[in-house]
Amino acid sequence: MARTLAMFTDTSLCIGCRACQVACKQWNELDMEVPDWTGTYQNHTHFTDATFRLVRFIEEPGGKPNGDLAWLLMSDVCKHCGDAGCLNACPTGAIYRTEFGTVNIDQGVCNGCRYCVSACPFGVVSFNEQTGTAKKCTFCNDRIHNGLGPACAKACPTESIQFGFRDELVAKARKRVETLKGLGFKEAQLYGAEATGFLGGLNAFFLLLSKPSTYGLPDAPRLPQKNIFVESVLSVGSALLVGLGALVAFRHRGGKGE
Amino acid sequence: MALLQSPHWPVLIDVYFFLGGLAGGAFVIATIAHLIDARRFRDVSRVGYYLALVALIPCPIILIVDLGVPVRFMNMVLRFNPLSPMSMGAWALLGFSACAFLAALLTLLEDAGRSRGVWLKSVVGLVGAFFGFFLAAYPGVLLSATARPLWTGGHALGALFLAVGASTGAAAMALALLGLGRRTGDGVSTLRTMLVLALLIQIVSVAVFVVSVQGSGSAASVRALTTLTSGAYALTFWLGAIALGSVLPLLLGVVDFKRRSPGLTALASVLVLVGGFLVKFVIVAAGQA
Repeated sequence: MARTLAMFTDTSLCIGCRACQVACKQWNELDMEVPDWTGTYQNHTHFTDATFRLVRFIEEPGGKPNGDLAWLLMSDVCKHCGDAGCLNACPTGAIYRTEFGTVNIDQGVCNGCRYCVSACPFGVVSFNEQTGTAKKCTFCNDRIHNGLGPACAKACPTESIQFGFRDELVAKARKRVETLKGLGFKEAQLYGAEATGFLGGLNAFFLLLSKPSTYGLPDAPRLPQKNIFVESVLSVGSALLVGLGALVAFRHRGGKGE
Repeated sequence: MALLQSPHWPVLIDVYFFLGGLAGGAFVIATIAHLIDARRFRDVSRVGYYLALVALIPCPIILIVDLGVPVRFMNMVLRFNPLSPMSMGAWALLGFSACAFLAALLTLLEDAGRSRGVWLKSVVGLVGAFFGFFLAAYPGVLLSATARPLWTGGHALGALFLAVGASTGAAAMALALLGLGRRTGDGVSTLRTMLVLALLIQIVSVAVFVVSVQGSGSAASVRALTTLTSGAYALTFWLGAIALGSVLPLLLGVVDFKRRSPGLTALASVLVLVGGFLVKFVIVAAGQA
């Protein structure tokens, strides 16, 4: 495996211009969509089969160091989880990990069962009715295999989205958190930077200025497949009860004689 | 949580969960009847094996039609992924299909007076019973291994789906035997016992599921549970799936132990079939809401 690549989204630098969203649409030739009018600049409300980068606009009362309303901006994207729920759930092998550590969907293999859609802890994977397949951010798979960074990172005018080797970016991100804390942003924190943390670390990780839940992110996302063992044991227990019960029931009737 | 996406599986998938469970349950009961006393319980195993095959036939068709790219259905069994209950389920469906077909064929040969021996049917029955249990239970495990707050927040969905498979399997077999005029005898009375046993496990599993979601400590899961217990699906859940579909047939079944009334057995069986479908439907629907 090649050295792991990552995207680091520093939300403290985001100005909400959505150049990333536009660049993503253009490079990946994603369909036009009817906008959602939500009363904020955010479009769309959720990730869709044609929106892989999504700038979230969040208002947090009292969120600024001086107690003013904080206008939080976050360019959200597929997290390319180190332990990916979608990849584990995929029954066809269409979802795979590249040599750079990113997670991608092979559009020629996916048969559209939609299990990955339900298995993503971040609501990223979307179903496309036209192609009948699951879609999500590819980490610009074609670009990174040709020595280029993802289109969103390339387009970002403030370096809010940075692309590079994961270990280097994590070191950089840690320093940035310290700087921000020194400036009074007490809640400044990294999300998904720790490879030992949740979901084996995120290969698209974030610097947030508030709690993850403020951004609609789960505080401690869990790998869905962790339930399989316990639920299987309980199912075997249920099967034993049914099986043994049936054995006793039939034996009892069978033993009565004609 | 608004962040998550739903797979939007249609009601057809619930029909598959229902038929697959029924087929698995009927096959398991038929096999046990065959193993205990092949001659004495021939009616039971015969009806069970035929029913299992009939209930199974629509299953792969439903699954293929529901795919985004139906022509790629074979991709499901080009890979073996133990971390994906859907992958394991596809393999179990394949294995079960082979056994259900063989068991029905052997039964048919017996009917034609060309028995291939009890032992061959026993082997097919035992292997098929393993796959049958798997087919009945795996959809519950599949749902729990997602990020949907309702399904992932609680326990015993697999155990519940297996019990529903057994109860609906027994109910369908009882109705078939009654329909064939086998109103008395050990077959129907043993199926009555099976019905009561499976319903007990079914009710306990639902209770474990609801209580464990409530106590999961996840705000999203607790909120999702209200969709089932007090929201849009509350009436279907409490009245349809629980009261009329599980508790009433259990009470009827207990009364029926003494009365041994074909009418009562038939009524309980119909309620179990409707209730078994509703339990699966309502959990899938509320989890996707």
